Amino acid sequence: MNPDLFSQLNRVIHEKGRLAIMSALAAAPELTFTELRGLLDMTDGNLTTHIRTLQQEGFVSVTKSYQNNRPLTSCALTAAGRKAFAQYIDLLDQIVRQSKPQ
Amino acid sequence: MVLLASTNLVTAETSGCNSACKYYSARQSVLMETKWAVDNLQTIRTLMERSALYRRALAPIMILVGSLGIAAGLTGWLCRIESDRGFVCLWVFTALISIAGALLLMRQQALKEAEPFWSPPTRRVCQALLPAFFVGLVIASILASRPGPEGTGIQVVIVVLWLLFYGCAVHAAGFFMPRGIRWLGWLFIICGSALFIYANFVGRYWTNLWQPHLLMGGLFGGVHLVYGIYLYFTEQKTPTA
Repeated sequence: MNPDLFSQLNRVIHEKGRLAIMSALAAAPELTFTELRGLLDMTDGNLTTHIRTLQQEGFVSVTKSYQNNRPLTSCALTAAGRKAFAQYIDLLDQIVRQSKPQ
Repeated sequence: MVLLASTNLVTAETSGCNSACKYYSARQSVLMETKWAVDNLQTIRTLMERSALYRRALAPIMILVGSLGIAAGLTGWLCRIESDRGFVCLWVFTALISIAGALLLMRQQALKEAEPFWSPPTRRVCQALLPAFFVGLVIASILASRPGPEGTGIQVVIVVLWLLFYGCAVHAAGFFMPRGIRWLGWLFIICGSALFIYANFVGRYWTNLWQPHLLMGGLFGGVHLVYGIYLYFTEQKTPTA
């Protein structure tokens, strides 16, 4: 087993809440703030903080618009975010495969 | 001498125990990390499945289904299809045409976006719709095929049942679609319940109070058409399954 695999895991994505946000966004082109909140059962403050962290890392883009005269905040993974998420999954996969008997 | 020998033995045993302990500790750590990684992958997979909502543009599908419903209602009324069997046959046929048209539109959208037609969200929506559709079809077929005089209000019973089953089906599918669809499901359930209450308590007992074809055309066709027009002006133009 390569002990470095764990240390290679992206620390920003590794946090439980942020990993959940990244996972949800990876399967959809974009999700509204309300959809994410309902899906992940997070509070507004918690979700905002995690999204801001991911946004600062360049993993998530946030778009503010209006729908039916109501403000609408949408989040989506950026290309860098998609790549980082794919690498994270790949590392997890490697950890699982390495421990399996040959 | 004996003491020295026993000390050496203890040291050797301790050393052996240490390496074994280290080995087992490392092994335990690997197993825990693997279990953690497997659990994490499972959580990620579940979240990805839950967030993959059905997002194809519904406006054209709703407008098509609504138009077909209104056309079928007018056809049944104008052509005086009054038998129970004729009523069920006309509306099952309309439903089949509507489903075929909707699938065709979905396929066109999938091809346009270069995405798979039978995507996991599409599959989940169909799985959610199917049980209520099946039960509605079976009950309506049994009610329409039973012997008895025509015009006993059985067609209104069928309309009520179809509204309720369809509402439940749409509501169930709404868990894999944008939130507004669940409201549409509730609207059908409320319409079905209101019709049931009116026919049972207010109007004459289960006689064909209104033209059942017009009821179907107005409640199914009309509601779909209005919702389709609403979606046409409000839906985001980025369809994805």
